[in-house]
Amino acid sequence: MIVEGAVQAGCKFFAGYPITPATGIFKGMVDMLPGRGGLALSAPDEISAIAYAIGASLRGLKAMTATSGPGWALMTESVQFALMTETPLVIALVQRLGPSTGGATQGAQGDVLLAEYCTSGGYTIPVLCPATAMECYSLAILAFTWAEVYRTPVVLLTDKEIAMTSERIDDHALCPMTAQDRPTAKAGSAAYAFEFPQEIPGFRPVGGYEKVTVTGSAHDKQGRLQKNSPETVQVLRHLEEKIRWREQDFSVVESDLQAGAETLVVSYGVTSRAALQAVVRARAEGTAVSFLAIKSLFPVPKKAIVKALAGIRTVIVPEENLTGLYRSVLSSLFHGADVRGVNKVGSMITPGEILEAVKEVQ
Amino acid sequence: MTASTDNLASETYLAPNAVFPFCKGCGHSHVLRRLDEALRALRLPARDVVLVTDIGCIGLADSLFPTIHTVHTTHGRSTAFATGIALADSVLSERRLKTIVLIGDGGAMIGLQHLVHAAMLNVDVTVLVGNNFVYGMTGGQGSSLTPEGLVTATTPEGNVVPPMDLCGILKNSHAPFVARHLATDRALSATLQEAIATPNFALVEILELCTEYASRHNAMIGSALKELARRQGWELGTIVARTDRQPYHNRIRPLNGKRDLRPGRTIRAVQTPAHPLRKELGIVVAGSAGERVQSSTAVFSELMLGMGYHVTQKNDNPVTQGSGFSLSEVKIGPSPILYTGIEQPDVLGILSADGWREAVVSGWRAKAGETAEVFVDKSLPCDHFSGRVRHLPLREVFGPEWAALGFLMTLAVRDRFASVSDCVEAVQDAFGEAPAEKVRWGVQQLQSEAAL
Repeated sequence: MIVEGAVQAGCKFFAGYPITPATGIFKGMVDMLPGRGGLALSAPDEISAIAYAIGASLRGLKAMTATSGPGWALMTESVQFALMTETPLVIALVQRLGPSTGGATQGAQGDVLLAEYCTSGGYTIPVLCPATAMECYSLAILAFTWAEVYRTPVVLLTDKEIAMTSERIDDHALCPMTAQDRPTAKAGSAAYAFEFPQEIPGFRPVGGYEKVTVTGSAHDKQGRLQKNSPETVQVLRHLEEKIRWREQDFSVVESDLQAGAETLVVSYGVTSRAALQAVVRARAEGTAVSFLAIKSLFPVPKKAIVKALAGIRTVIVPEENLTGLYRSVLSSLFHGADVRGVNKVGSMITPGEILEAVKEVQ
Repeated sequence: MTASTDNLASETYLAPNAVFPFCKGCGHSHVLRRLDEALRALRLPARDVVLVTDIGCIGLADSLFPTIHTVHTTHGRSTAFATGIALADSVLSERRLKTIVLIGDGGAMIGLQHLVHAAMLNVDVTVLVGNNFVYGMTGGQGSSLTPEGLVTATTPEGNVVPPMDLCGILKNSHAPFVARHLATDRALSATLQEAIATPNFALVEILELCTEYASRHNAMIGSALKELARRQGWELGTIVARTDRQPYHNRIRPLNGKRDLRPGRTIRAVQTPAHPLRKELGIVVAGSAGERVQSSTAVFSELMLGMGYHVTQKNDNPVTQGSGFSLSEVKIGPSPILYTGIEQPDVLGILSADGWREAVVSGWRAKAGETAEVFVDKSLPCDHFSGRVRHLPLREVFGPEWAALGFLMTLAVRDRFASVSDCVEAVQDAFGEAPAEKVRWGVQQLQSEAAL
């Protein structure tokens, strides 16, 4: 469904390198893109795959690649290049068990922070995290819209249990919208023109009618390599400010809050499905519990989280990694509450395990 | 203001009065002048030229070309970014651009796979490798193209590792155009013209002096480069000029629009069963790779979808695709399924010794407990299983290849999810006539034996 979403979004270029459990996306793009006037091809490694995609995006096309943890490690240098050069790009990161080659055919939620914090300097990379096949479709389209409109790399974060599980979908409910396009530059304007740091500069393709200067090094608004000039520092701030300033636009959550509940279960991705089932069971047993599934992991949807925290004494964050990676990010928002994790590696967290944690609170 | 690139051929592509940021005597200045000459001779509109530069001294060149498009990339990756630009331009856009890469000897090695793959693809990219045998920007360390004997910052006693023959590698990677020159060669400009003009991939390695480092520690002057190349066995001049290779965009284009979308199968609607499911049902099937466990389970899942149920299926196998166990977990329910795993299976089917081992190792046997129905193929011992265990002659009746399919269809009929003919039709849609008949015969056989 990520493939279907990407095609619907208008993706025209895909370069891939096989890696379980992301290979299905690669194969799907090879099957679907040529018939839609696009190109999908094999790269000799993940570094080439992402560089080909960035090159195609620089030329003006909606572009994407897909990988898993080990391939992501190789791609991060170029993710930073895309961020620095404000080149739209979607990377589908399908998590598998780590560290290292880990377990190719086992799911995990271990790359949450690797995805977000792969950049030097404290920049925000939008990360979307679907939990169902339907969301893979709709959030793939949204990932393209974000990448294009905000001129940034966007990570679509799933795992083996999402990307390689078949499930029923309602094809009538699929979003018929395509993704928005990147803003175009006014004739004669600077390559990275902005008056206020939060502005998104208009895009001008490499090979277009006006000269473009692109560099992965620190640069001024013209794109010229510059060291430490005030304008260069402005550009460096702008790269973060353009995301941070419109943080609210990135908030995608599903909240199911219950009046009088003092316990809140916060989860994401595949684990949020088990968490919701646990919440349903707890409520059937007469326990009041609120539930929040986060689809936009970064930027952190602070407002939605703070709203869900009203009246809450205990927060439970189930996620499939050892130490609670996303919990560590959220913890500053949970001040005053008793924060607990349900963590596991090697297999999915079950509704039973989450229910047990909910009951322990009571 | 941004320089306009609407001009046609420029008098010069280098900035007028360009001040080269290179050391005195550095070969890079020669290279850039020859490149400018080549572009001028080709009379290319500036907006049709993209210069992609690598990291290293030669990568500073982008700022010297104010009218053409420039992309300054990460170390070694310049050719890969250029390949992406060229692919997008030639296959999906106007096919207008000439994409030129400037890279040093260090970048050529760290990004070797990009050079090799660009040559294999045969994209319209021309790579100029300024080989001055050292990493100049970081202080003259030895590179993979440092000749034997050369004293560098990291080989103070002289390099003992033979250098890579870059042109040789590219020649053997199907590069249609490969040449090697000294930076001072008169022929360099003409060679660059030829390299850029061809719609093919081209690589030109240019031997030059790093006056700051290579010359300082070694008795090296420009004229010694020819002798140095000879000692390495490095051929000079045009090494490959093939006309028998089609560029990638010519070979890939005809595929556009002709290939079907992923072939989908329409799932037949099946009459709602007499005893509809009221709660979720979890079925685990464990067998051997190559015995169609996962594809058969998919057919069963589709049969359930055809009845309007919500279904999830997830599969497991070792990292290898064609050996060891193969396992599928199916969940069927009257409403959307949240958790796609199975905490306690309702049915566990074990079809082979591989499946049996996996059921034990992965804990399915333990999770089945006393409540699940466990079916074990008759060929296997079932001493380890207490509770509701049945032996079925699945491999015998359906054959190993269709045992999983036969098992699931027998289950569907027994639980009155579907009629025998529903099952046979589903199998026929997916696998054809012969397996469908086998399933029809086998299901009836097991029914008549009241095996389930």
